[in-house]
Amino acid sequence: MALQLMKGSEAIAEAAIRAGARYFFGYPITPQTEIPEYMSARMPEVGGCFLQAESEVAAINMIYGAAGTGARAITSSSSPGVSLKQEGISYCAGAQLPCVILNVMRGGPGLGNIQASQGDYFQGVKGGGNGDYHLLTYAPASVQEAIDIMMFAFDKAEQYRVPVLFLADGLIAQMMEPVEMPEMVDFKIDPEKKPWACTGWQPGDDPAKRGVINSIYIDTESLSVHNAELQAIYRQIEANEKRWECYKTEDADIVLTAFGTVARVCKTAVDELRAEGIKVGLFRPISVWPFPYEALAETVLQDHVKAVLDVELNEGQMLQDVKLALNGGKPVDFFGHLGSEFPTVDEVKGKIKEMMKEGI
Amino acid sequence: MKKMYVLIGNYGSGKSELALNFAFEAAKHGRTELLDLDMVNTYFRLTERGKLVSQKEIRLVSPNFACSGIETLSLPAEVASAFALNWDTVIFDVGGDAVGSTALGRYHSDFAEMDPDQLEVLNVVNIRRPLAGTVEKIIKLQEEMQIHSRLKITGMINNTNLGTMTRPDELRDGYEILKQVSEQTGIPVAYTSGKKEFLDQFLSEGHDPKYIGKPIEIDIYMRRDWDSFINNLGR
Repeated sequence: MALQLMKGSEAIAEAAIRAGARYFFGYPITPQTEIPEYMSARMPEVGGCFLQAESEVAAINMIYGAAGTGARAITSSSSPGVSLKQEGISYCAGAQLPCVILNVMRGGPGLGNIQASQGDYFQGVKGGGNGDYHLLTYAPASVQEAIDIMMFAFDKAEQYRVPVLFLADGLIAQMMEPVEMPEMVDFKIDPEKKPWACTGWQPGDDPAKRGVINSIYIDTESLSVHNAELQAIYRQIEANEKRWECYKTEDADIVLTAFGTVARVCKTAVDELRAEGIKVGLFRPISVWPFPYEALAETVLQDHVKAVLDVELNEGQMLQDVKLALNGGKPVDFFGHLGSEFPTVDEVKGKIKEMMKEGI
Repeated sequence: MKKMYVLIGNYGSGKSELALNFAFEAAKHGRTELLDLDMVNTYFRLTERGKLVSQKEIRLVSPNFACSGIETLSLPAEVASAFALNWDTVIFDVGGDAVGSTALGRYHSDFAEMDPDQLEVLNVVNIRRPLAGTVEKIIKLQEEMQIHSRLKITGMINNTNLGTMTRPDELRDGYEILKQVSEQTGIPVAYTSGKKEFLDQFLSEGHDPKYIGKPIEIDIYMRRDWDSFINNLGR
């Protein structure tokens, strides 16, 4: 397959369609409006449905409905819009509906700005809606990685019956990169594999085979059982679905931790610092829920590692998970920006050199 | 004589990069004005290189609120300076696709008053972009952009590239497609542009100069801090 130069938004939308998504519900918001724009033209070509909902709240509830039939449904928005969706996301998690939600993060809180941000990490991985639930959450660092994750995102969502969240940022959606687009997946709703799906029920059909989509459990005992089932699934996801990348950490004195596009800046900083003889490495979580705690601990809790520097485009949100992983085992420092001003390679290098001067 | 270049084309064809290269070259020889007329994009726009542009003593005109985080840009009155003042070279960097070229329609009467020899309206083509990947798509886009801009495209620029992963194949494949577009539409290939190493290789292959036009060596100014990452993907 030939390489193409694609904008992140177009590539993510096309990948979703190739992965079998046939329902897109959403509402425009910068910096991800190109996703609904692309879907509006592309969905009719593949016999799918694009619908611009009256609001983000409506869109996520349309996802609830479409996912309830076993179809592959996707919605996208940016930070303030994803905040609006939280009620519906919690309902999807409660009703165990597989679907994909894209958050192309922009600056916050409130309306914030339209530039890239990583300020919704807490919202994504610590639960933005009500109740004890998790979303299988990925933080792609390139357009190609976003495509590759999309190609298995629906499979994972269906395997565990959980919503999958993409925690991307404005840069991923807006940047253009060379990509290889995978072939179209032949997806059909299989009622045998999805006995819960509401695919139509006639009087006289076996009532036991009737699909029911529900997140309300009135009595304490049944809600308790339901939650225990959900938690058992989350433990399975934690056991099987952690993803991360280690870059030149084997002999590093200082390990950088970063996710998404900020990790790219860090990677360049690693290469440039190593060219100056300073041994630095990068640990990049790709799944941010489940967070790769054990892998990070194993990478960092080595004699050669003196300290960790976490870099984010927020106040230090993933920082908490980094500290949990290390449990005081190594000193952890932080560098970040608020207000969407992207950290630069020179700033990261400067911070590392400052840490070294202070004798860590 | 004032010379005016209007760069239009598909999103991601490389208009801003070329506009900077045209402007830096022109500034060596005379008074140059560069206009960022992209009314669509809020990210990755030419105005982000404003400091570099001013260092080269080039006058930059940007839409009101460009790079401010506000998405409702508006056309500044200073665009009139492109027509009214005595520049040696004026370069317009216009937004992508037909929707982006709509911004030019407002200046129809100003362009109409110019001597045709003074004006080049150039469609920047990168066939590695999905919506400009075939002869049919390029012609369709070209026709739409002419209607929306109220300008006639005088030439095409083969600027086929894959960003940091560009190989010599890009210009070669772009040449083959643009040759067909040119034969069908009568619009000449006015320029072929690329980094020196790729351009030299392409020019040494003995293609028909009629479909190469004037070769332009370009430098990359729109590169980002994070671009090197893509080469580390190991694909």
